[in-house]
Amino acid sequence: MNRKDQIDSQGRRLSATVWTALDRKAGAIIELTVRQLKNKTSTWTVMGVSALLLTLLSAFYIDSVREGFESIDNDGDSVDFDGDGYPLGQEMKYGSSDYDEREYPGAAIFIPEDQINYWGIRTHSGNYTWDVYGPSKFTGSWENISSNYAEYGDECPEIIGEDLANTPYGYSSFACTLADNSVYVQFLRFDGNGTLAVAEGWNAEYGRTTESYYVAPDPPSAYIDEDGLDWDSENPSQSQGFDDDGDCTQEGYYLPTGSQNDDDNRNGVPCDVQWIRGPDGSVLQINPDYLVDEDPVDSELLGESSHRSFIIATGKIAFAMIIGIFMPLFLALGLIRDESENGTLHYLLSKPIHRGEFIVYRLSGYLIFTGGFVLAMSLIMAAVTVTLGPDGNRLGDINVWFGIGVVTVLSLAAYGSIFNAMGLASPKYGVYFALVYGVYEFAMAVMTLFGADLVPIISVSHWSLQMIDAIVILAWPDTIMLAQMATAFNLESGLAFFWNPPLHTFGTGSSALAMGLSVVVLLAFITLPVLIGQSIFNRREID
Amino acid sequence: MTKPPAVALDHVSKWYGQVIGINDISIAIDGGVTGILGMNGAGKSTLFKLLMGRIRPSKGSVRLFGTNPWDSTAPYRRIGYVSESERMYDWMTSIDFVSTLARLHGMTRSEAEFRAEQALSFVDLGDVLNKEIGKYSKGMRQRVKIAAALVHDPDLLILDEPLHGCDPLARTSIMNVIREMGSRGKTVLLSSHILEEIERITEQIVILHAGRLVALGNLHAIRAMLDKHPHRILIHCEDARALASSFIDKQPVYGVRFLDNERLEIMTKDLSEAHSILPALILESGVPIHSIENPDDNLESLLGYLVGDSR
Repeated sequence: MNRKDQIDSQGRRLSATVWTALDRKAGAIIELTVRQLKNKTSTWTVMGVSALLLTLLSAFYIDSVREGFESIDNDGDSVDFDGDGYPLGQEMKYGSSDYDEREYPGAAIFIPEDQINYWGIRTHSGNYTWDVYGPSKFTGSWENISSNYAEYGDECPEIIGEDLANTPYGYSSFACTLADNSVYVQFLRFDGNGTLAVAEGWNAEYGRTTESYYVAPDPPSAYIDEDGLDWDSENPSQSQGFDDDGDCTQEGYYLPTGSQNDDDNRNGVPCDVQWIRGPDGSVLQINPDYLVDEDPVDSELLGESSHRSFIIATGKIAFAMIIGIFMPLFLALGLIRDESENGTLHYLLSKPIHRGEFIVYRLSGYLIFTGGFVLAMSLIMAAVTVTLGPDGNRLGDINVWFGIGVVTVLSLAAYGSIFNAMGLASPKYGVYFALVYGVYEFAMAVMTLFGADLVPIISVSHWSLQMIDAIVILAWPDTIMLAQMATAFNLESGLAFFWNPPLHTFGTGSSALAMGLSVVVLLAFITLPVLIGQSIFNRREID
Repeated sequence: MTKPPAVALDHVSKWYGQVIGINDISIAIDGGVTGILGMNGAGKSTLFKLLMGRIRPSKGSVRLFGTNPWDSTAPYRRIGYVSESERMYDWMTSIDFVSTLARLHGMTRSEAEFRAEQALSFVDLGDVLNKEIGKYSKGMRQRVKIAAALVHDPDLLILDEPLHGCDPLARTSIMNVIREMGSRGKTVLLSSHILEEIERITEQIVILHAGRLVALGNLHAIRAMLDKHPHRILIHCEDARALASSFIDKQPVYGVRFLDNERLEIMTKDLSEAHSILPALILESGVPIHSIENPDDNLESLLGYLVGDSR
C-alpha cells in the first residue's frame, strides 16, 4: 500500500487531512514568495553587497593569515635602550644598567664602599674609584680620567674659585686642571690615589671597580616569545604559570636574588600566575606576578585570539548587525504591502486562506530564502577559517559559524516580522518607521558591543549579540581564558573588545542559560510583531 | 433545513466616510448567470469586494453559502473570483500562475498542475500555457484570470468586468465560458456597464445605480416594462423620405424625423411591437437598408427611464 492510500485513525486518507492541505497551501505561498524574491532586483543587490562585504572581510583575514602572526616583544626586553649592544633582557641578567652605555654585561662594575655625604666629612683620601656628582677638587699622586672628557688637562677657567661654588658646565661630565695642579671634576667617575674635596651641598661615592670581561651579546630574538603562557588544563589549580625566561625568579642571574618583588598577586607563591575561577570552573580573573608569562608565543596565543576575534567580529558586525538588519529592511517590509500596492493581493486572498496564516507563510518564504543565503554564507566563512586558521582542532569554528548563522536567521525573522508589521500598519510611512527602527537597532548593537547591559535590552540586536557571546563560550570554552590572558598580559588581539561573557545569566554564569534566554527573547521579538501584523491585517479593508 | 443561497445580502450598506458605496441592498442569488449592471461608480466593485470579504459592510449582513465572508475563509473553497484588476504576476507562466493558486485550495502539486492545464484548455489557452503572462494579450490575460478562478471547480463564480478591454474574439470566448458555467448549474455573477454584453449572456440582471438597487429580475421583463416609454429607432438607408412614408400612420409609431437624406428616426412607445412590424414595412417600401439601431437601447437610457429625473 503506498502512502497515498493509507488511512488515519479517523478513516481519512493521509494525503487529504487538514494538515496536509495546510502544508500544501503553505508550500504554495512559500514557493511563490521565494520566486518573487528571486525576481526582485533589490534581493540580488542586497545579497550581492552582503557577499561582497564578507568577501572583503575574508580577504583581510586571508591576508593576515598569509603574513602570519609576527612575533611581538610584548615585554620589550629585546630592545637595547642604551645602545651598548646588549638587549635589555641580557642586561637584567647581569644587573647592568639599561640606560648607561658604559654599563653592560661583563663591563667593569663600580662597587661603592662609602660616600662623602652632604653633611659629613667634606674630604676623603685613598686609592679608589671615585664617583663624583657635584663640583669637586682632587689632589693626588696619580689619577686616570677618561680621555672622553676633552677639557681634562686644560687649564680651568678662572671662574672656578677656591670655594668651587660655580659649576660652569652645568650638570655635564667635566674635568680640568687648576692653577695648583690639582684637578677640578664634576659628574664623572675616575680612578686615582689622593684626596677628594667636595663642594658644599654635593656628594660623591668612592669604592672599587671590578675587572671587565667579555660577554657575547645575545641576539634580540632570544628575548621575543621567551616566556610563553603556561596553562595546565589537566590540573586547574589556582596557581598556574611558569617564569620560563627566569626574569622573575632571577635564577642564574649575576646579581643577588630577591632584589625585586616576586609575589605581586600575593598568593604566597613567588613568580606564578593566579587564576581565579567561578563556581562552574570558568576563569574569572588572571593575576600574574611581575614578569611571569609576560611574553607569550604570539603565533599561538595572539594567532588564536585574533582568529577568534575575526570570527566573532564578523559574526556580530557583518552578520547580526549589517546583514541581519539591512536584508529585512529591503526584503521584508513589502512582503504584503507590495502585493497590496501591486494589486495582486486579491489573487491570494480570494482563496481559502486566512489572512493571519498568509502572513506566517509569507514570512516563512522570506525566511527560507534569506536564511538559506545566510546559512550558506556562514558555512562558506567556516570553510575559509577552518582551512586557514591556526593549527589544532578547528571543529569549534564550524559550531560558532553555524551558531552565528542561526542567530542571524533569528534576527532576520525578528526584523522581518517587525518591518512587515510596520509595512502593514502604515503602507505609506512604514518605510520611514523601519528606517528609524533600523538605526535604533544598530545603535543598541553598538551599545551592547561596548558592554551596556540595561538600555539595549529592548532590542533584537542586543539579544542576538548576547546569543553569539553565549555560543562562542559554549563552542570554545577557553575563550574567556584567552580574553583574560589578552587583558592580563596586555595583548592587543581585539578579543576582549569583540567578546564578553554573556551578561544575562541571573548570576549563575551559565552560558547555556544565557543562550536559552536569548532564544526565548528573540522568539518573542518574532512572535509579537507577527501577532500585531495579523491583527492589523485581519481588520484591514483591502480596496 | 433549507440550503442557504449562494449569495445573500440583507440590507447591506457600505460607505466610505461621506461617500456611499452601497446603499441598503438586499438580494439573494442562487444558480444561473446573473448580470450586475451599472455605470462606473454604481457600486458593482464595492458589492464584489463585500462578497469577497475584502471590505466589511457598514450595515447589514453578507452571506455566501450561509457564511459571513469577512469572518471566515470557508466560502472561498466554493468560489472563483475574477477581479477587475489588470495587474498579474507577469513573470510567471500561466500554468504556474493557475497551479500555484490551485495549490492554495490544498491540492497537491501534480493535482494542481493537472487541474490548471484543464482550466487553461477550457479557456482556450491550452497551447500557450508555458508562456509568460507578461507576453499575453489583454484578452488572454483575462482568460488566465478566469482559468485561475475555475481551477477548483467552484459553485459560485464572481467576475468583475470580465469583458472589459477584450477584443471581439476574446469576448466571444469568455462569453461561451460563462454560459457553459451557467449551464452546468453553477451560480455566476458578472458585472458590466455595457447592457449589450450582459444581454448576450444572460436574462437575469441586477441593475445598480449610485449604490442603490434599481432593478432586479428578467432583462426582457424589465425591457417590456420600459418599452412603453418613448423609444427611438434609427434607420440608415438610401432614401429616408421614401421609407418614412411607409411608417406614417402605422401603430405604434407616433412620429418620424429626418436627420439627413439617408438617416431616419422613428419614434415609438412600444419598441417590440415596432420591431415586429418593421421588417414587413421595409420590404414593402423597397428601400435598401444599411443598418437599424436602437439608440435608446443602452444602459444609460435604461437607467434614465428607471431612475427618471433623479439621475
